[in-house]
Amino acid sequence: MKTVSTLLDAEWRERYRRISSLNIRSSIYDLTCRCNLRCKGCFFFSSGEHHVQEEMDIRKWEAFIDREKARGVNLAILIGGEPTLCMDRLEAFYRRIPTYCATNGLIKVPRDRFPDMMVGISLWGGGEDEKILRGRDTFAVSSKNYEGDPYTYYLYTVTPKQVGKTEPVIRRIADCGLKVHLQLLSNDEGVDGFSWRPEELSDLRFEMDEMLDRYPRTVISSKYYHEVITTGMMQGRRFGWRECPSVTESLDTRQPPVRRLIHFYRWGADLQTVHRCCTSATRDCSTCKDGAAHMSWIMVNKRDHMTSTKDLQNWIEVYEMFAKLYRLIPW
Amino acid sequence: MPESKDIRGIERHVAEIIIGELKLEDVTPDTFNPGMDLVDELGIDSMDLATIALVLQDEYKIVIDEDDYPKLKTVRLIAEYIEEKLAAKQ
Repeated sequence: MKTVSTLLDAEWRERYRRISSLNIRSSIYDLTCRCNLRCKGCFFFSSGEHHVQEEMDIRKWEAFIDREKARGVNLAILIGGEPTLCMDRLEAFYRRIPTYCATNGLIKVPRDRFPDMMVGISLWGGGEDEKILRGRDTFAVSSKNYEGDPYTYYLYTVTPKQVGKTEPVIRRIADCGLKVHLQLLSNDEGVDGFSWRPEELSDLRFEMDEMLDRYPRTVISSKYYHEVITTGMMQGRRFGWRECPSVTESLDTRQPPVRRLIHFYRWGADLQTVHRCCTSATRDCSTCKDGAAHMSWIMVNKRDHMTSTKDLQNWIEVYEMFAKLYRLIPW
Repeated sequence: MPESKDIRGIERHVAEIIIGELKLEDVTPDTFNPGMDLVDELGIDSMDLATIALVLQDEYKIVIDEDDYPKLKTVRLIAEYIEEKLAAKQ
């Protein structure tokens, strides 16, 4: 029988034990329906998920967060809209549950109010791609706001037009003393020239590997994650609705049951609506490139990686990557 | 309900269920180490444990509270937990 001890040496066993004790229970919250950008390809607006009546009473938010904590959530992932437009709600989460704020970085989270809150800044490529897709070069602002911040990293959504051009972006991030994690654009609004072709995905995989090798102190990633997200394949299985782990629990009627994130929900900003999954319900799951969904897919399938030493090491590296992104373990 | 309700019998049956549910190879209920840590060694996660708990609840007609999962770290501890639940029922 293959066990952790038969597959791993002492060093890797220690790494395994460090992450296996984390017991993460995450959920995602739309903190607001408003944003200070309107990016082409943003699933939140393209899918109409902003059409809910936003709860404005902070006391109702506080009571809601207390209920979420009571049902076991120990990692709140705040998205939107733009969460930093609602600092009071942000603070209500931060005071109660370990919190991660996904932002475009245009508004600085005041560190005197949120000293160690994890911040992930969205970035959609170099300056030109940002202007095409987001209307402005957000990096120019966000990099000034967060330069050298030890609790901030860039979430760099690579587009097909960025293949072969990621290094200057990563170097700029390194130069301002921040980390970066790479994921892939899912072209939800069908913007011309921004849909992936197989050869682009293949090229990008090796480019991501190269960036990890060249910038190991800046890039938070793993080569196995690169393989899975660019091929959509894991242990001979293809990502899609039948495999996705990031489906809201109350809406998950799949039979037979799918390996999934325990008690995961994605809540709308009215605190009543639940969305299908961590991204858009209008997205075709077979083309979804969501980075969090793919890393979670790997993470919930641990025993499928207990087939060889290399497979289990790959699984550990992806879990460590996830834990680093939320500072559950040190960078 | 399984015939044998003594602790060794329960351990053997729990091992049998785990082997079946996780499709473990090269191990039998008789060779399964009841003291082996199911998370640290076998790689069981909370979803596996939930699946196993459902089978055990059904077989022993007991309720296994989700909050108790962290306690159920080995086959031996699961068997002792079941034994306590059965005793409480009587």
